[in-house]
Order: sequence, then C-alpha cells, then structure tokens
Amino acid sequence: MKRTLEVMRAASWLGWQVEANWADPFLFVVYSIAKPLSTTLILFFMVRVVARGAATAESFLYLFIGNTFFLYVTEVLIGISWAVFRDREDFETLKYIYTAPLRLLPYLLGRAFTKVVTATIGVSVALLFGKLVLGLPIGGDAGSWVRLAAAVSLGLVSVAWLGIALAGASIIVARHSMNLNEGLAGAFYLLCGAVFPLEVLPRWVLPFSLALPFTYWLELIRRTLTGRPYAVPLRGQSDAALWGILAVSTVGLAMASMTWFAWCERKARTDGLIDWKTNY
Amino acid sequence: MTPDREPSLGAIVRMNLGAVLARARVRVVASWRETSWVVGETVFPFLTMAAFVLVYRGLHAPPMYEAFVVLGGAMIAYWNNVLWSMASQFFWEKEQGQLQLYLITPVSRMSILFGMALGGMAMTTSRAVAIIAGGTLLFHVPIPLDRALPAFGLFLLTLAAVYALGMILSSLFLLWGREAWHTATLFQEPIYLVSGFYFPVRELGAVAGSLAALLPITLGLDGIRQILYGEAAHGFVPLRYIPPIQVVLLALFLYLAHRSLATMERLGKEEGRLTLRGA
Repeated sequence: MKRTLEVMRAASWLGWQVEANWADPFLFVVYSIAKPLSTTLILFFMVRVVARGAATAESFLYLFIGNTFFLYVTEVLIGISWAVFRDREDFETLKYIYTAPLRLLPYLLGRAFTKVVTATIGVSVALLFGKLVLGLPIGGDAGSWVRLAAAVSLGLVSVAWLGIALAGASIIVARHSMNLNEGLAGAFYLLCGAVFPLEVLPRWVLPFSLALPFTYWLELIRRTLTGRPYAVPLRGQSDAALWGILAVSTVGLAMASMTWFAWCERKARTDGLIDWKTNY
Repeated sequence: MTPDREPSLGAIVRMNLGAVLARARVRVVASWRETSWVVGETVFPFLTMAAFVLVYRGLHAPPMYEAFVVLGGAMIAYWNNVLWSMASQFFWEKEQGQLQLYLITPVSRMSILFGMALGGMAMTTSRAVAIIAGGTLLFHVPIPLDRALPAFGLFLLTLAAVYALGMILSSLFLLWGREAWHTATLFQEPIYLVSGFYFPVRELGAVAGSLAALLPITLGLDGIRQILYGEAAHGFVPLRYIPPIQVVLLALFLYLAHRSLATMERLGKEEGRLTLRGA
C-alpha cells in the first residue's frame, strides 16, 4: 500500500510538471480558469437573453452549479486518456513503466489526481466568481460544506474509475481515436443534465441518463448547495437514496473498470501495443 | 524546368496550384478514411450542441433561440477546424518531423495553408451539415430556407476571412512548442463566449461586442442570424455594414498572414525552432 501511494505521488508530481511547467504560474492559472469562467458566462448570457420569459436567477443557479462541477468529469476523463497517448507516442515513456518496479494502474491514478487538482482550481475560481461577481446565493452552514466535500470526493472516485476504464481503452486503440473519448465527455454533459433540467430530455433518453452515476452526483451537489431538489425525475429520491445510489454505482464502476483495465493492459502487452506509435 | 534557369510565372503558378490541390486532397481523403473521426466530429459535437439547445428549452425560450444555438454549433465546427487544423497544424507537422519537408519545397507557404483551408472547409462542411440537419430534424428548430441564399453568401465570405485569420495564427504557432497546444485550448471556450455562438452577441454590451466583432466569425454569425431572423435576431452590427467589413478583414488578414509567415519563418530559422521532436 505504501509503495502504491509512493507511485501515485510521483505520478502526480510528474503530471503536474507536464501540465504546468510550460508557463509561469500566473499564465497557468489564467489558462486553468478560462474554460470554466467562459462556460459560466455563456450560460449567464443565455439566461439573461431570455430573462423576460420564464428564466430566473434560480434557473441560472442550478445551471451554474451543474456546469461548474462537471468540469471535473471533462478534465479527468479526457486527462487520463491523453496521458496514455502522450506517454506512449510523444514522450515514448509508457514502456519504461514496465522497466521500473511499479504498476500502470496506480501510475494512472496518480496522473488522474493531477487533473483533479487542476480542475479544482477552475471549480474554486468559478464558485468564487459566481458568489462574488454574479451574486449567486451559494453556500450555507459548515455542515453543508462538509457534505459538499464528501459528495464531491465520492463523485470524483467514480469519475477517476471511469477515467481508468477509458485509459484502458486508450492503451489498445490508436491515438486518433482520442476524439471518441473527448466525445464521451460531451455525451455525459448532455445525458446527466449538467446544464438543463432532466425533464426536458426526450423520454427515450431518460433511462440512459438515470443509469449514469454523474446524474445523481450533480443532483446531490445541487441539493447540498441550495437545499432544494432540482431534477423532476429525481424528486422522489431522498438525499440518503442519492448517496446510496452514488456509493453503490461507484463500487460497481470501480470493479468493472479494474477488470476492463486489466484485460486491456494484458491485450496491449500481448499484442505489442505498449510502445505503439500511431502518430506518424 | 532546369535548376539553372528561373521558372516562368506560369510554372510558378502551376506549381503552387498543385500544392494547393495536393494539400487540400490530403484533408478531404483523410476526413473520410478514419471512421472514428467521422463519428467523433459529427455525433459528439452534435451532443454538446444539443445540451445547449436543451438549456433554452429548459428556460422555455422561444424556439428561435434554439436555432441560434444550432447555427452557432455549425460555426463552432469551423472555428475548431481553424484552431486545430490550421493554426496548430505547423506545430503538429513540427512534432512529427514534417515541417522541414514543407520548407524544402519551392512552393509558397501560403499555398500550403490555402490548400489546408480548402480541404478543411470541405471536411468541416460535412460536420456542419450534420449538426444543422440533426438540429432541424431532432429539435425542429426553425431555419427559414427562403432566406438561405443570401445567408450562404455571407457564410462563404465569413469562412474566407476566418481561414485567413487561421493563416495568421498558423504563423504564430510556428515557433511555439507545448504552449501552442494550450493556446489553442485557450482559444476555444473564451471565443465561444465572445463570438456569441450560443446567444446574440449584442448581449455582451457595446464595448465587449465591438471588440468581439473584430473576429470575422462573430461578425459573420451575427449577420447570418440577421438575414434569417431579421429584428428578432437581436443583431449587433447593422447588416449592410457586415459584408464590406468582412471583405476588408479578409484582405487585411491575408496581407498580415503573408508578412507574419515570412517573419516567423526567418525567426524560426535564426533561433533554431523549426525542428522539434517529443515537444
């Protein structure tokens, strides 16, 4: 266990260097917050332009929360897959994992942790921007912040394991399939109702949405930060039920991802794909 | 043509036209050869666009706003193509060790970029059509076809100016290493915001809107929406001014791209930054 943690720590540090050492700290922070602030403002203007209709400040609050926390999903899912492609083909270092006394899985979890940190910078700044500049009523008592931290952490475990599943797929596919992984994040953005209430989804799409842990995760975060339910299809679920669904789905996802990743890694080694170069 | 004789003007033109067609052909062929690209560049951008359509639906906005998003989604396909396949292209070529092959040839860099632009437009048009067709069929967004022809004219002018801007960016990216990647990323969501891809750019206000209108894609989208939806489009720049401004921007950007490419290539050679592996 200690060895695994050491590997994760070293991989996180390596990931941080890859992510951040191309720029000075100020430029890096600007880069990290540009995306979340831009999408926040896009939603802000979208709500404002129809404000004469049914849109209200509360409508925006829910969109804002969903959009802000979804940043974790995008960053981690895409980030881990990219780490595989970059290490395998650009830096040509993936093969050296196997010449060192470490395993690939904790290494990738460490790289995922880096993406969690960079996403946290973006999420934190977006939340501050929402509260201080846009005047959104975000927050509550100390208890609600603790519950928020717990909900976010549990969701992040789920996101990280899904990222590992995608990383497994990335080991056995060519680099130019990367846009499928990027697209999957876009599909989740749509399906889990990050920026709209689930009830506006076509009826036949709703079961797919309700099969995703992120749907329950975002609802839980919204309830924690506002004290009120948001998605009509989830109104029948208590907070405890949401916690339970999220926890069980996270465990299931972790087991499925570990199995899938082990299979992909075995196939990659068998077929000689660990040092595959498709970026010619 | 022999090495000891200067080629005639006709030979130079033929050679550069050949380069344009060759570079464009690579783009077109490649765009259909890799199935995952076709899926990744049509279905998935459509899903993201659909999420923003549903934002307006959730807000009970008039259906026209959903059409704004669909048009914006189609234009985003072009902007992303300019960013990742024009502006960053010389960076990719440098990473893959091919940039020097371009520099060896006697053809103009502008011809290569022009070929990239033509091929990129053809490649992206199939994606944009899929987005508009999907938006129309699945979400029933109103797109008045009786005004499609003038809108298409402005769209072509806009594309020319946007890809000319891509040529300028390409020259800037020529010298960069890993920061090229991050800079391209920085030009995504912030540009989606200031260009009003998902809402009328007038909402940004006079100052921010005027600055945003320096981007031809902002101006073009504003004009196309005005042609299609009239007053209801909440236009920012009066429609009659938009085509002449786009023509001026096109000429200016082509001139700047030519100058910038020459300068950056010279700088790159002097500083030894035109070759790179494993950035």
